[in-house]
Amino acid sequence: MSKHFRFVSNSIIVLQVFMLIFAFADLSQLPAWMLFTGKFHPLVLHLPVTLVLCLIPLSFFAIKQNEYSILHTILRYVILYTTLFTTLAAIFGLLLAAESEYAKDTLQWHKWLGVSLALVTHFLLYANQWILSHKTAGQIALISTAGIMLAGSHLGGSLTHGEDFFSLNIAETATGSFPEITDSTHVFEGAIEPVIAAKCASCHNDQKMKGGLNMVSFASLAKGGKTGPTWVSGDPDMSLLTERLALDPEDKKHMPPKGKAQLTATEILLFREWIKAGATANTRVGELKETDTLKALVYQVAEAGKKPKSDKSYTFSAASSATIASLNTPFRRILPLAYQSPALSVKFFLKEQFNPEMLKECSSIKEQVVEVNLSGMPADDELLKSLSQFPNLEKLNLNGTSISGKNLNVLTACKQLEQISLASTALKIDALKALAVIPSLKKVFLWNTQVTEKDIASLTSQYPGIKWDMGYIPDKNELLKLTPPYPANRDKAILEQGEVIFLKHPLPGVKIRYTLDGSVPDTSAGTIFETAIPMKGLLRIRAVATASGWISSNVSEQTFFMKGIKTDSVKLINEPDPKYRKFGAKALTDEIKGEAGNFGMNWLGFKDLPFKAGFYTSTSKMISQVVLSLADNTGSYIFPPTQIIIKAGDNPSQMQVVGKLKPEMPGENRSNAVIPYTVLITPGNYRYIEIEAVNIQKLPGWHRGKGEKGWVFVDEVFFY
Amino acid sequence: MENQEKEFRLNVTRRHFLTSAGLGIGSAALGTMLFKDQLFGSDQQSAIPLGLAQFAPKAKRIIYLFQNGAPSQLETFDYKPLLNKMHGEELPASIRKGQRLTGMTANQEKFPLVGSSFGFSQHGQSGAWVSELFPNMASVVDDLCIIKTMNTEAINHDPALTFFQTGAQQGNRPSMGAWMSYGLGSENANLPSYTVLLSRGRGNGQGVYSKLWTNGFLDSLHQGVVFSSGEDPVLYLNNPEGHDRQSRRDMLDQLAQFNAEAFENVGDPEINARIQQYEMSYRMQSAVPELTDLSKESDNTIKLYGPDCLVPGTYAANCLLARKLSESGVRFVQLYHQGWDTHGNLANDMRMQAEDVDRASAGLIKDLKQRGLLDETLVIWGGEFGRTNYCQGKIDPVNYGRDHHPKCFSIWMAGGGVKPGIVYGETDEFGYNIVKDPVSVHDFHATVLNLMGINHEQLTYRHLGRRYRLTDIAGEVVNGIIA
Repeated sequence: MSKHFRFVSNSIIVLQVFMLIFAFADLSQLPAWMLFTGKFHPLVLHLPVTLVLCLIPLSFFAIKQNEYSILHTILRYVILYTTLFTTLAAIFGLLLAAESEYAKDTLQWHKWLGVSLALVTHFLLYANQWILSHKTAGQIALISTAGIMLAGSHLGGSLTHGEDFFSLNIAETATGSFPEITDSTHVFEGAIEPVIAAKCASCHNDQKMKGGLNMVSFASLAKGGKTGPTWVSGDPDMSLLTERLALDPEDKKHMPPKGKAQLTATEILLFREWIKAGATANTRVGELKETDTLKALVYQVAEAGKKPKSDKSYTFSAASSATIASLNTPFRRILPLAYQSPALSVKFFLKEQFNPEMLKECSSIKEQVVEVNLSGMPADDELLKSLSQFPNLEKLNLNGTSISGKNLNVLTACKQLEQISLASTALKIDALKALAVIPSLKKVFLWNTQVTEKDIASLTSQYPGIKWDMGYIPDKNELLKLTPPYPANRDKAILEQGEVIFLKHPLPGVKIRYTLDGSVPDTSAGTIFETAIPMKGLLRIRAVATASGWISSNVSEQTFFMKGIKTDSVKLINEPDPKYRKFGAKALTDEIKGEAGNFGMNWLGFKDLPFKAGFYTSTSKMISQVVLSLADNTGSYIFPPTQIIIKAGDNPSQMQVVGKLKPEMPGENRSNAVIPYTVLITPGNYRYIEIEAVNIQKLPGWHRGKGEKGWVFVDEVFFY
Repeated sequence: MENQEKEFRLNVTRRHFLTSAGLGIGSAALGTMLFKDQLFGSDQQSAIPLGLAQFAPKAKRIIYLFQNGAPSQLETFDYKPLLNKMHGEELPASIRKGQRLTGMTANQEKFPLVGSSFGFSQHGQSGAWVSELFPNMASVVDDLCIIKTMNTEAINHDPALTFFQTGAQQGNRPSMGAWMSYGLGSENANLPSYTVLLSRGRGNGQGVYSKLWTNGFLDSLHQGVVFSSGEDPVLYLNNPEGHDRQSRRDMLDQLAQFNAEAFENVGDPEINARIQQYEMSYRMQSAVPELTDLSKESDNTIKLYGPDCLVPGTYAANCLLARKLSESGVRFVQLYHQGWDTHGNLANDMRMQAEDVDRASAGLIKDLKQRGLLDETLVIWGGEFGRTNYCQGKIDPVNYGRDHHPKCFSIWMAGGGVKPGIVYGETDEFGYNIVKDPVSVHDFHATVLNLMGINHEQLTYRHLGRRYRLTDIAGEVVNGIIA
């Protein structure tokens, strides 16, 4: 007996390890015979359900006995077998789940509850002595185990019998499938029968026949049930079927009964109209007049009942991967629409590499090609002919090609063509009528072609089944603002005497007006830019772009600095803030301008100490002017210096003040600019010049940082 | 019998334990033989074939218009008239529910609600509410799928942005575009499959860093390639003076030979990546000028995107370039537009930002549509989180500010298999909490991958001993927005 017990308990260990592996692994790769054993899940699972429930009364009585009593032994064996069968049920269940499609959430819960139950019972097997010696705790443990079992098996029941299986309200889900409606479809088969199959036949079928009514075939339906014939041909008001449908849902006789899937208002109307029309089995949709309500209802009901369209499946076979690979180049890309899809798309790249042969060569995959994209390629009318070789072509992109529309009629050979893009071609309306006869065609894109709005209107009225898309047409009354003009070489703000400045605007036909005196140019004020502006001194160009049909641009302002006298070296007397000292002292004389707002580059920023730097020069020229290029960005606490002091002399120990400037402080308007400050100094032949620009010590009251220190940012210093 | 029972219980000892453990380990070994690679990992990188959509994709390409800095949902698409009614009143504690705030407003004594200073009206057949700042987006609202219930875990820009782009806040994972390139491969071998375009707005800005378009642990082939915002979007593309195309070709052939030898010896896969990158750059010399030449754009195109589109480095120019790149088969075009961080001065900044992006964003939708490309291109517009319904700092009669708000914000998607003309999800009257259909960042990623024909749970890469995916261990596909 002990041997037996040990054998089973050891087997359980092995099985539980397998169970855990199965629970985490993807089982779909297991051999088929193994997955087949999953079918034993329903067979085995009922054993632990009973055994777990047995445990509770058994332990209740066993507690009162001593540990060597027969009840204790029985209890141990019951736990042993409960564990075994729970484990087996879990393993089979996991295998079964791998094979079938169940509601994901429920399945997950069921799976883990099942696995937990197996683990918990296994624990009980070792803890049985403890259960019996701890009266209350032991009972709680067993009842919890039963709880897990009940929850798990309830979910199992929901999986096999449906979510609402365990409820008083018995509702069923629709299962009817609607065929494609054509003129030759029978009204009965196309719409009536599927509704019955979905909402009536579960109770009125060959087996069930509630009320003696079988609704599965036309003949049995026409026969009626115990209450009488189902309808009075031509009179829906007197017909039993429509009467039952129309009753108050609370009424006992209302059909379908309360809690079951109800017919929609359209479906009820369909039944009425069908009975009104004689309730026949053989009337075809095509025989009904275009204006017949019944006809419209058939389409409506069938459309509404259709399941969402699944991925398109293709019937043609796949091309060999070798063929596809041999055709693939960087300039002709052939890709399956998806993994293992036989359908191919062909797309061409780089117009200079394109030649018409590249399309013709695709004849070996002509069956499989469903998309061709020639967008932007120099494809002409002649090339269109080789498109007719693709019988399954669905989507064609000819945007920006050089076709004139002449040979478009060859595309009628593509019987599956749904969408064709012809934007930015020289196409005219005449060519399109040839396309309109393709029955599958749904969308044609015609933006930026010779086709006019009027043409679109006439095409739409003539061929309403096709969407003729004209695309964006600018609103004539909407005026847009031009962008401001800019200098041709934007990065170059430091020029030599005699160099010239060109102003540019990206839009052709735009007039540029500019001023050099600080006044504001507009459509009439300022010089029209025709010839280059020669560089002289410090040049501040304000310019505006104007054009008819557009609103004039904002005024752009650009400052140009002339190259100054070269210095030999420069040293920073006060260190800038470590965050804003990327290029160090040389930034001041490197002839590279900083960009407004981009303070990480080319700029030196000072806050704790004022800007103070010394410049050595050996020039023989007289120096009479110093220009500092400073940032102004009050939002970022960057203000003009409160004062600029310039000292000069032969060396740092022999200097005197030669110039001073107190810049004007900005107001509340936010600014973001680079502003030059010119300081006139006593002319002289200096060897050493020291510049100090004191940052603002207390920000003004209107500023959000009022009372704090402001910054001074310097990017370049010029001497003239 | 009694002795046997005693003996049995005594057997539950070390010896018994070891026997059982041996049994357990043995069966574990046996069990794992059934699943060769699954339990302890395999050499195979991904559970699915790479380079192709796993199932029929609804979208082939993505253009992601990232609004960096987080535009306020309350001034864009989430209309909350109650805030105007309760303007200045304190945010009820029952709404805030002890929500963590950023260091910028956590110490504020009061949290006065602030209504949008911009008008809202309904547009299109969907009747979606759009702020007056975005008249052009409003005109294409029937093509948009507005999601009002995005929510994120991060509360500051950098982690939030990194989370949105890489699925993790730390910044060491591959970006969305890199995953896309890894999973779907390139359509056009002459261009990178993942490109990044940057523009700076006029509002309060936040930085972008290259970690946002990193390939992470994926091959560096999948890294986002940043196009420069100057006149030459790709620098150093021309051959140096005195070198013609043939000599360039010869040089590359020779170099590839050396590199191949190095690969033989060292075996670093990055060497192969480098060879391929050189080859692609060579072909880019022809492919890029075709794309970036704006001189042939028609007047209508310029009006569609707005005249800014001719000025390199602007958002509008990037939108136009994005359309051209996408049309030429670039799988993922990522734009970043900075300047949406409206802590103060919201009324002005928001207006300027809207001016810069409204026309071009809507223009992009219209342009893709009129070329028949919208159904295969997924366009996404949105920021990294939302903004608070209460004012940061004091309410000023003309201006106000909003702090970061991760619990709900609005983004939109268009084209590529999303339902057009719908508004998904509901927020409460205060625009603070989500009432119905929340969409987490992982859900967003799962959905985008699904639209591209990839099951997000199966696009994996093994790194540091475990498999990673964009959605890591979370994410549910939001079926409600898929057409």
